[in-house]
Amino acid sequence: MITRMPLIAVTLRGVLGRRRTWLMILLASLPVLVALLIRAGGGQPNATTILDTLLIRTVMPLLALVFGTAALGSELEDGTAIYLMVKPIPRWHILLAKMAVAASLTIALVFPVTVLTGLITDGRDALSLAEILGYALVVSAGGAAYACAFVALSAFTGRALILGLGYVLLWEGVLSGLLEGTRFLSIRQASLGLAAQVTGNVTTPPALDLATSAAILVAVVAGAILLGSMRLSRFEIRGSDG
Amino acid sequence: MTTDRTVAGSPAEFAAPGTSIVVDHVSRWYGNVVAVNDISFSLSAGVTGLLGPNGAGKTTLLHLISGLLRPSAGGVTVAGVPAWRHPAMYRHVGLVPEREAVHGYLTAREFVLLNARLQGVTDAEGATLRAIATVELQDAADRPINTYSKGMRQRAKVAGALVHDPAVLLLDEPFNGMDPRQRLHMMGLLRGMAAAGRTILFSSHILEEVERMADSVLVIHAGRLAASGDFRSIRRLMTDRPHTFTIRSSDDRRLAAALLADPAVFGAELGDGKLSVRTADFEGFGRALPRLARVAGISLFEITPTDESLESVFSYLVRR
Repeated sequence: MITRMPLIAVTLRGVLGRRRTWLMILLASLPVLVALLIRAGGGQPNATTILDTLLIRTVMPLLALVFGTAALGSELEDGTAIYLMVKPIPRWHILLAKMAVAASLTIALVFPVTVLTGLITDGRDALSLAEILGYALVVSAGGAAYACAFVALSAFTGRALILGLGYVLLWEGVLSGLLEGTRFLSIRQASLGLAAQVTGNVTTPPALDLATSAAILVAVVAGAILLGSMRLSRFEIRGSDG
Repeated sequence: MTTDRTVAGSPAEFAAPGTSIVVDHVSRWYGNVVAVNDISFSLSAGVTGLLGPNGAGKTTLLHLISGLLRPSAGGVTVAGVPAWRHPAMYRHVGLVPEREAVHGYLTAREFVLLNARLQGVTDAEGATLRAIATVELQDAADRPINTYSKGMRQRAKVAGALVHDPAVLLLDEPFNGMDPRQRLHMMGLLRGMAAAGRTILFSSHILEEVERMADSVLVIHAGRLAASGDFRSIRRLMTDRPHTFTIRSSDDRRLAAALLADPAVFGAELGDGKLSVRTADFEGFGRALPRLARVAGISLFEITPTDESLESVFSYLVRR
C-alpha cells in the first residue's frame, strides 16, 4: 500500500494534468446537456432512454477508454513507464494502481452525471431517487469494468485506443445487436442488464438477468487484473536497437 | 580478448565473491536478427565502459542486464539476483536510460522523491535532497522537468537512479546533452561512487569519455563481445598489429640505426625532430630500448606510445 500511493499520485497527475480533463468533463456532461435542452424546448426527457443510450452506450465506455489507455498506455508509449518498472515492487501493484486511477476517474464523472440527468428528467418514466442512485451505482460498476479492461489492453498493445474504440463501436455497437451470443462478451450488455434490474425497464430483446450481468462484470475485472498482471510481469522495453 | 577485472568466459570461472553483474552466455534475437550473440562476462566494483558502434547491441545488453528484456538464451544475475522477472533486483540497481522521456509534469524534486518512495527509501525526503545536491540541480529542482535542457534532464535522471544508493549503476549514454563542466562533474561523481565500491557500467559512443573514466571496457561489435578489460592491456594483446612509439633523444639518427638491428623492431622513421619506431613486441622493446641507448651512449628524453589510445584499440577491434 505504501508503494502504491506514489504510483496512484503520479498516475493521477499524468492523466489529469492535460487538456484531456476538460474534454472528458465536456463529454461526460452530454447526457445532462441533452436533458436540459429537451426540457428547455418544452419536452419531457425520458431518463432511461437518455441514460441507456447516451451514458451507457456512448459516454461511459469512451470515458473509460480515454482514462484507461492514458493511465498506462501513454506511459508505455512515451517511455516514462520504465521509471516505474525498474523498482522493487511487483508489477501487479503498478497495474492495480493504474486501474484504480482509471476506474475512479470514470466513476467520478459518470456517477454525478447519472444523478444530475436523473434529477433533471421528469418524463413519463421518471426515476425515483433510489432508482437514480441505483442506476448511478450500475454505471459506476460498468465504467470500472471498462476502465480495467482498457488498462489491461494497454499492457498488451500500443494501439489500445483504436482497438478499444473498435470494441465499443463495432463489437458492442454492431455485433452484439446482431448476434445473440456475443452479448455475453459485452460490458455494455452487462451494464444494461443491471440497469434494467434497477429501473424495471423492459426491452426487446430482453436484457441479461442480474446474475449473468454481475458475473460478466466480475469476470471482466478479474480477467483484466490477471491477464494485465501476467503481461506486465513480462514487460519488455521497446526500441532496444543500440 | 580479455584482461583483469572485467572477465569474459564461462561463469563457473568468474562468479567470484563480490561480483556484481554476471552475464552468462546471453543471446537476444528478434526474429532472424541477432542483437546480442552469446555474450559472457562478469563485473565487480569499478567503472566499466560499454563501447560499440551504433547498432552493435549496447542498449540491448544494458536492457538485458537491467531486466527489461528477456534473454533468448543464457541468463543475467545482478547482485546475485536473476535480472529477468525479479523486481527485488532493483533494490540494488539504478538505471539511467538513454531515452529522454521523463515525467515532464513533475519537478525534479518530485521525480527524485517518487523514485525514492518507490524504492522504499526510509528517509525519502532527505535522500532526495542529497541526490539533487549530488547532481548540482538544487537551483532548478522545483521547476517542471519539461522546462529543462537535455543536460538538466540527464542530471535529474541520474539523481533519480542514485537516490537509493544502489550497488550497481547502469547508464546508457549518460553524458548526452551535458556541457563540458557538467560532464567533468558527472565523471568525478561516478568515479567517486566506483571508488566507494559501486559497480558502474555505462555506454558511450564518445571514446574520450570512456578513456578518461573507465577502468576497463567491454567492446561490443555486431552483437558479440569483441574484447573486455583494460584497453591498454587489450592493445598489448593485439600482437598482429605493430606498436608505434615516438622517441626524442640526444641522437635520433644513431638510435634509429641501433634499434633497426634489434629483431623486435621492424620500422623506424625520422622526421619533425622525432624518431618514430614500430615494433611487434611491446615488452621486449621496452627492455631493449634503454639497453641499446646506453650501449650507444645516447640519452633518451621522451618516449611516447602513439597508438595506445582507446580510439586506436576500438578502431582495430571493430575493423577486424
